[in-house]
Amino acid sequence: MEAIKLKKLKKLKKLKEKIIENFFLICALVAVISVLAITFFVFYNGLKPFVTNSYPFWNFISGVEWRPGSNMYGIFYMIVGSVFATTGAILIGVPIAIFTAVFIAEMASSQIGKVIRFAVELLAGIPSVLYGVFGLGIIVPYVLKISPKAQGESLLATILVLAIMILPTVISISETSIGAVPKAYREGSYALGASKIQTIFKVVIPAARSGIMTGVILGIGRAIGETIAVMLVCGNPIAGIPTSLFDQIRPLTTNIALEMGYASGVHQQLLYSTGVVLFVFIMIINVIVNKLVKVRVDS
Amino acid sequence: MGRKAKDILVKSIIYLATGITLSVLLFIIGFIFVKGIGAINWNFISRDYNEKVFYAFVENSSVPLTIEPKVMENKTTYDKKYETPLEAPVYVENIGAAITKVQYKYYSTDREQFIFSYIEKNSPFQNAVQSNGAPVDIGTDYILQSVNGTDLTGLSTNDVKTLINDQTGQLKLKVISPGGGIKSNIITTLYMILLSLAVALPIGIFGAIYLTEYAKAGKVVNTIRFATECLAGIPSIVFGLFGMAFFVVALNFQISLLSGSLTVAIILLPVIIRSTEEALKTVPMAFRQGSLALGATKLQTIFKVILPCAVPGIATAVLLSVGRVIGESAALLLTAGTVAQIPGTLLSPGSTLTVQAYYVAKEEGNIELACAIGIVIIVIVIILNILSRIASDKLDVFNKK
Repeated sequence: MEAIKLKKLKKLKKLKEKIIENFFLICALVAVISVLAITFFVFYNGLKPFVTNSYPFWNFISGVEWRPGSNMYGIFYMIVGSVFATTGAILIGVPIAIFTAVFIAEMASSQIGKVIRFAVELLAGIPSVLYGVFGLGIIVPYVLKISPKAQGESLLATILVLAIMILPTVISISETSIGAVPKAYREGSYALGASKIQTIFKVVIPAARSGIMTGVILGIGRAIGETIAVMLVCGNPIAGIPTSLFDQIRPLTTNIALEMGYASGVHQQLLYSTGVVLFVFIMIINVIVNKLVKVRVDS
Repeated sequence: MGRKAKDILVKSIIYLATGITLSVLLFIIGFIFVKGIGAINWNFISRDYNEKVFYAFVENSSVPLTIEPKVMENKTTYDKKYETPLEAPVYVENIGAAITKVQYKYYSTDREQFIFSYIEKNSPFQNAVQSNGAPVDIGTDYILQSVNGTDLTGLSTNDVKTLINDQTGQLKLKVISPGGGIKSNIITTLYMILLSLAVALPIGIFGAIYLTEYAKAGKVVNTIRFATECLAGIPSIVFGLFGMAFFVVALNFQISLLSGSLTVAIILLPVIIRSTEEALKTVPMAFRQGSLALGATKLQTIFKVILPCAVPGIATAVLLSVGRVIGESAALLLTAGTVAQIPGTLLSPGSTLTVQAYYVAKEEGNIELACAIGIVIIVIVIILNILSRIASDKLDVFNKK
């Protein structure tokens, strides 16, 4: 009798454990469900106007004017704006970030390194809206001074704000991967007579390059997805491909944030379509990062 | 160029880059503090953003001034930034309060107003009610617009005193509570933090437990990890789009506190899962084996041994999440709105500090106010940073033992 009871109890206990394990699994799956739901809702709303033929896809993707009032919804000039702004930010921000990471990981004493790391963390913690306010208060007026145009909101101002904003991402990831390069590499290099600087640039950085690349690509992701800070400094024109640094731009993200509050009908759906384009960009970046991380783990 | 010269050149470039990084940080924080500090005072923290006009019914009873008129004048408080007194304060016995005529600056408008500059302790204002009988607060710096329907524009302070003293019976005062503060935004931010953490924290922690304690390497785990990474990479405006389509429209939650906090909860998931996972991984295998060897079940081991050890890591997750909620703006702009009010229910809108900072910078062009809000945010961010440092040190200490 006792034995059977004990067995039953054990079974019950096992069942309880199994149920809770499945509950944990469901919690873990929430992340997957969220990604699927986000993809579904954004794509469902965003592809509707093209499937139902209420707006031709080609006009949307190749158009250079966004005038909801006269039923013109072209986002090509926004894509160009987003790409220009991101490229500019990477060109300025990445070198500064990598050199700073080198300083923290290879040259600074542990005390100074700690201080700079804290500063970088702080920089990462400042909400994007404050970068925007800073841009609006300092960078935009300064650009206005040197600009031939009548406004300071411009591609240049956007690039500068974004370059600052990607610094913490690129610095912290590069710094970690530079720190992870085995000591033996450096010792080997010194033993061959290389100087410290030569060791850093010829041995350490190449060894850490996949980590640094991950940082750079995450930086690209941050720059292309940034909304609020950019919205304050980019000008948001309704038409025109930017041809100079002083031209205003309207990145994909700000197009959504600016008009989502009051848009309806096809206009609203096409804002979702803008989100789809942005989403595709981000997904490509995610896949690349995933591949890079795998390469790093494998090696 | 010789090797030495080259080295020195590169070295100076490295120093320069580090200098740029640090000076950018100092410059931004300095700019925000210098621009915003002037607007920071108690009123800024304790007031609502919008002025509120309301009618108050007040008993008409004589209250003698219990302190010297000189003392009363000295006690008269002005918000020096916005108000310049035009006439000396006059004590009105019938309402137990002193009235002062001031030049009142409300952002870009300039107007002459009467404000209550001093209120006696036993003033009938203590029992002021609204038309529906609900008690209402009248404090110093509140603006008096009309008395029993008589508009006060153009009157002198003494005229107002005579006007009030001539009335018999209950007084009907049209009062404006002063605006320009961020109280409602602070409270909305707190609500947003609590609600989104209440949703995301259990899900994230349990999910992390599954990943570290149960899951065997395979397709399921890979999918979950890839999804978590994707979530971390999706820009917040896309979360906003999703929140708008799903919570606001499909579930009909409207643009509200609830829609906002659920959207933010999804944004928090990867943060919480990742840092909890890190924390769980640092708990030594021997602890698990010891617990299991003593006959504890897996579940008991998790809740009685592993989780308590991972508390500092989970604390880090919470702190990071709080920072994320405070910093979030694009997603909340679309899902929780820009109305500066304390959300009365889960389904009413409200703007957090960052959204408010965006709103005043973009819609009102008021950089000073945006910077003042920025100071509040940065102070919170610095405190969070220090706290999370302490938490992670605790985790390290535990590991060294």
